Amino acid sequence: MSWPPSASDTSPGSSHFFRLHQKVQRWIHRQGWQKLNDAQEQAIPLVLKGTEDVIVSAATASGKTEAAFLPICSALLDEVDDGGIRVLYVSPLKALINDQHRRLDELCEDLDLPVHRWHGDVPGSAKAKVLTKPDGILLITPESLEAMFVLRGMEIGWLLRALRWVVIDEMHSFMGTERGAQLQSLLHRVELATRRRVPRIGLSATLGDMESARDYLRPGNGGDVHLLTASHQSADISAIIRGYVNEAPTTEDDEADGGTSVERISEHVFTKLRGGNNLVFFDRRGDVELYADRLRRRSEEHAVPNEFFPHHGSLAKDVREHVEGLLKSNRPVTVLCTSTLEMGIDIGTLTSVAQVGAPPSVASLRQRIGRSGRRGEPAVLRMYVTAQEINADIAPQDELRAELFQAVAMMSLLSERWYEPADTSSLHLSTLIQQIMSVIAQHQGAHPVELFQALCLSGPFAHIDKTTFATLLRDLGQAELVQQEPDGLLLLGRVGERIVNHYSFYAVFAEKQEYRLVHGSRTLGVLHMTTPTEVGSLVIFAGRRWKIVSVDDQAALIQVEPSRGGRAPKFAGGRAEIHDEVRRRMRRWYESDDVPGYLDATAQRLLDEGRAAYRRFDLARNPALATGNDTIVFPWRGDRIVNTLTAWLTRAGVPAVGDGVAFTVPKCTPAQLRAVLQQLLFEDDTTAEDIAAALPDTTVEKHDVHLGKPLRTRGYAAGYLDMTGARSALTDLIDRMPEYEVDVITGTSSVPAPLFTTPTAYAVVDVETTGFAAWGKDRVIEVAVIRVAPDGTVLGEWSALVNPQRPLAASEIHGITEDDVVGALAFADIAPTLAAHLADAVVVAHNASFDLNFLNAEFARTSTPLTSSATLCTMKLDDRVHQAGRRKLHDCLTAIGITTHGTAHRALADARATADLLRHYLIHTPHDVRNLVTGSERSTL
Amino acid sequence: MNDTRIRPRDRDAIIQSLRAGVVPRSGQQHVQVGRAREVESLLRDLDSVADGGSTARFVIGEYGSGKTFFLNLIRAAALKKRLVTMHADLAPDRRLHATGGQARSLYAELARNTSTSAKPDGGALAGIVERFVSQALTTAREQGTSPENVIRQRMAELSELVGGYDFGTVVEAYWRGHDTGNEQLKIDAVRWLRGEFTTKTEARAALGVRTIVDDASFYDQLKLMSRFVRMAGYSGLLVCLDEMVNLYKLTSSQARSANYEQILRIVNDSLQGISTHVGFLFGGTPEFLMDTRRGLYSYEALQSRLAENAFAANGLVDHSGPVLRLTNLTQEDFYILLTKLRHVHASGDPQQYLVPDEALHAFMRHCSQNIGDAYFRTPRTTIREFLNLLSVLEHNPGQPWEPLVGGVRFEAELNPDLEPLEPAAQDESRVDDELATFRL
Repeated sequence: MSWPPSASDTSPGSSHFFRLHQKVQRWIHRQGWQKLNDAQEQAIPLVLKGTEDVIVSAATASGKTEAAFLPICSALLDEVDDGGIRVLYVSPLKALINDQHRRLDELCEDLDLPVHRWHGDVPGSAKAKVLTKPDGILLITPESLEAMFVLRGMEIGWLLRALRWVVIDEMHSFMGTERGAQLQSLLHRVELATRRRVPRIGLSATLGDMESARDYLRPGNGGDVHLLTASHQSADISAIIRGYVNEAPTTEDDEADGGTSVERISEHVFTKLRGGNNLVFFDRRGDVELYADRLRRRSEEHAVPNEFFPHHGSLAKDVREHVEGLLKSNRPVTVLCTSTLEMGIDIGTLTSVAQVGAPPSVASLRQRIGRSGRRGEPAVLRMYVTAQEINADIAPQDELRAELFQAVAMMSLLSERWYEPADTSSLHLSTLIQQIMSVIAQHQGAHPVELFQALCLSGPFAHIDKTTFATLLRDLGQAELVQQEPDGLLLLGRVGERIVNHYSFYAVFAEKQEYRLVHGSRTLGVLHMTTPTEVGSLVIFAGRRWKIVSVDDQAALIQVEPSRGGRAPKFAGGRAEIHDEVRRRMRRWYESDDVPGYLDATAQRLLDEGRAAYRRFDLARNPALATGNDTIVFPWRGDRIVNTLTAWLTRAGVPAVGDGVAFTVPKCTPAQLRAVLQQLLFEDDTTAEDIAAALPDTTVEKHDVHLGKPLRTRGYAAGYLDMTGARSALTDLIDRMPEYEVDVITGTSSVPAPLFTTPTAYAVVDVETTGFAAWGKDRVIEVAVIRVAPDGTVLGEWSALVNPQRPLAASEIHGITEDDVVGALAFADIAPTLAAHLADAVVVAHNASFDLNFLNAEFARTSTPLTSSATLCTMKLDDRVHQAGRRKLHDCLTAIGITTHGTAHRALADARATADLLRHYLIHTPHDVRNLVTGSERSTL
Repeated sequence: MNDTRIRPRDRDAIIQSLRAGVVPRSGQQHVQVGRAREVESLLRDLDSVADGGSTARFVIGEYGSGKTFFLNLIRAAALKKRLVTMHADLAPDRRLHATGGQARSLYAELARNTSTSAKPDGGALAGIVERFVSQALTTAREQGTSPENVIRQRMAELSELVGGYDFGTVVEAYWRGHDTGNEQLKIDAVRWLRGEFTTKTEARAALGVRTIVDDASFYDQLKLMSRFVRMAGYSGLLVCLDEMVNLYKLTSSQARSANYEQILRIVNDSLQGISTHVGFLFGGTPEFLMDTRRGLYSYEALQSRLAENAFAANGLVDHSGPVLRLTNLTQEDFYILLTKLRHVHASGDPQQYLVPDEALHAFMRHCSQNIGDAYFRTPRTTIREFLNLLSVLEHNPGQPWEPLVGGVRFEAELNPDLEPLEPAAQDESRVDDELATFRL
């Protein structure tokens, strides 16, 4: 372990060096360092004080670890050691712990301080030693710390009795994630167990929003956290983006290998990177394997030793460690990896870093570049970007060369030192559930008040109020995760016990599930998915476009069929969300004429093609593009906003499919869509929760499945929808989308036909009959119509008895006798009046199919035509809202707290009751009413 | 109502224990009410243990219904019958079966709490060994042989039992220490018997034995102990295990089963008459017994053995089965309890009663209105609140009792390890206790 002293050393006069313990000073001298760097200097007095929370923020390999541990070790040497773990070091990766263990051991061996590592791959004997004689510094993952709470809940206070500091490495990787919330909770519980506040030291890369980092380290008291930032290295990056055009596959082989660009990219990687030490980053494990296989075969063809090895999370531990070992050796080796090697393991000097495909985020790109140029040399980055060959079938999104523009936008943001801020919007309900179960397991039972105090009131879940917490506990009880004793104590329930006793409980994130992708009887391959995918969404696999027909979660099977429309570059939701700022920046690059110097010839060509397409589609003026019957909209906003927009549209009855940079609305013109968007923006006071409630699946995080619908909806709305952003995007879209239809041939413009109309009135109808056979022997004997305005007010009532001209049956139901109807008019005589009452209105009835069937039959027997436009069944409406199945009118009314009036089963009384029901839904769930109105295109009922 | 005066020392001990929510170690008779038949039934059990029989009983009652009080009462009776008693509360780190030292820890707790009539407050183990040795000395003198021989003979009887040989070796080591004036050896021997050695190496160096009391030998060690106390001249051993609900709370179903298996062993031995001169009393809640998922009933073999007499329902009782249910105290029992508390508080002098009888009625009314039926089932909190009330009256002479009765409040006890570090946050939540009364 060594690093050169930073160029920005402080003057010797201000040195805190001499405050360190003599042994530590001697160790530093032996390393041959002349001076400590900025952050290290400043950290000494703060850490030695023993009470301060500190964040050390500096580039990778600038001695952050030493900034924390030199003063810590110094203080440990000065204090009496009475046993007990004195420093807890938490790291996100096992590999990083192994690495740090090696580094710290060098320092601590000299100082006679024990350093232990503790994670899933550490042998039990080493752990047993720590348990019998806890001391020194413990390096641990959040998951292992969780396991310690669950399995050794009684001992943990004893094990950590002498705890002085908690050090969090790679803190930026925790911020805004489920795992980060888990860690906050664990650290809080450490303090509860030791019964005192333990100072925290966060080690973080320099990222955009350091304020949120302070708040992350000490929730609620971020203001007191000291922030030490090492002065920026002169970060020279020498970068190139290489463009590749994927030609249409000509052979079966090409098709299976993902297209011709793979061939040519691996060729370039082989010739350029061979002989050096490099990392090549991919965003999918499948790609890692694909390229690794390619490069291995190529090495064999050239009869040279293979220097290319894969490294990703699905690989076994020994394989990964072998590859890490190769990197640390002096042999030339290139590792193809996912984000697994993005973070801090010290892997020796790298020649360069490569990135295949646009990176998922700017922050991630920064981290990846940081792996190269660690020893003062400039970082070298090669980015490979692929685009589809332009042919007759190409989709507009492909013509825009979006991936290249994303890469360029990210590079420009990187040069401005902009990074995605940590996402703090999530309620972390799933993590809270896990922590509740963990606390119960730790103490073998806990009272609701205790849980609330420990986790919410004083803990990191401060955004959860008491009522929400009580609802959450009830949901957990419902799901049998917890059960309650007569004295109020909560224990783990049947299901909860099973979850907690399985090792997968300790990880807060869901294990990735492998899905088999099947077309007909042919298996296309295996897909990793973290989030459920909607049926109907589009996926590219094996170089072809597929539409998902069905997803079977039990059998981990996805059925697909070939598809042409739309485009989903990668699995929707399967990868990181692209941030709003990146998309906005992409738009600027489309509208600019600048050509960045780091593009190769093909990439420049792609840039030109993209800009040409952008101009051809006139996207600068009009974000919507009509293709065939569909409209594709380019809002140039982040994934979260686009997802919110599509969900909002879908809920409003206009299905929309989002796919990366754009979203597609089928069967609709831009002008029609504009009218709808305007309606959304001005007429709808929809909330994010309303939209989430209408989504088929809001289960995202691991324990979401145990939540009741209301909480899950709230959690999803807070964590995955952005109404403010969506509204601002809507305003922008409406401003720029065309108001009128323009006929391309004649050049005339016209007002668009409304996509859906708000009914002018509803006609609530009820009929009494002689029986059930509408088209057979039975006839209507009484009919009532109540016209209701869209706001629910009654416009008028009308009812009439009808002479069925046959003997009466079913008198016991409605109480109408022969005497009542003998003097009445026949249906043919009242038909014109009735038709007038039903005209120009949505015909509404409870169990509408019965009433409509009779009306249709009766009108068919007369010469009067029935011209009503649409129908609505309040029974279906009730089922949709309450999901309680087919219920009688009376039960529906009782459910919403209305008591029925008048004699049931007389036409007018029933129609009034139905009108009451309709009014309730018009006021409370207007969108459900609108969505259930059917048959608008039919001219007769 | 008796007029016997109560010694100030006894009075203070009783009042302090009860106010702290724990059972007084002595003087229980002053506050015992009701449950006469249950007591009678267990006294018969004690007689049978003294006569060479064995027993295993489950004392089942709600939280705070007086199980511990009841067990202590029986324990006091056992001491009077010249039995040795051992008692311990189970806890997350003290169980019947474990692999992480929790069973040894339970044994060590039992050993620490070993009591005889001469030492009713625990710590009697050394005395028992000492007594055994002096008995051996007497026998040796009478028979004209050496004490070593007598001890070796006696210990030979134990060696047939599991772990008996090492047990004998340890007792002999004690004798050697006694004989040669080696105090350290005596101390080490007693430490071994108390289960305080944690490593075999240590034990071997100190006493020359290859084993120690560990998780696996928990029950065998108790069996040896029951034989040994007989040899020392006591009439038997009573083991009281309280707070069995801690087994029910275990999160791992395997751990629960393993513990219930240990209970089954004990129950089998005693029902089949294999063990002699030993009685086991287990105190637990109805859930611990009856819950078919995580309670004793989840263990098939135990459910059939512990099934209650089907005829003992609807007010009929059978106090001879292995399960002894503590019935709720009646209104009358409660009234008597309050009068007894008042009596004890006044050191047995009716002249010094702090409140009249109406106050007792008012207090009971207040309780039943505020905590409902529960106060019949859980006397613990009621007793505590009543004594707190008396205490306030004692220290504030002239204060009328009426307003105080209305102010009695019942608060749940909370786990101190889960309380927030900043007290401010805590107070805020106490004000509004929506969650304190939370029910799923």
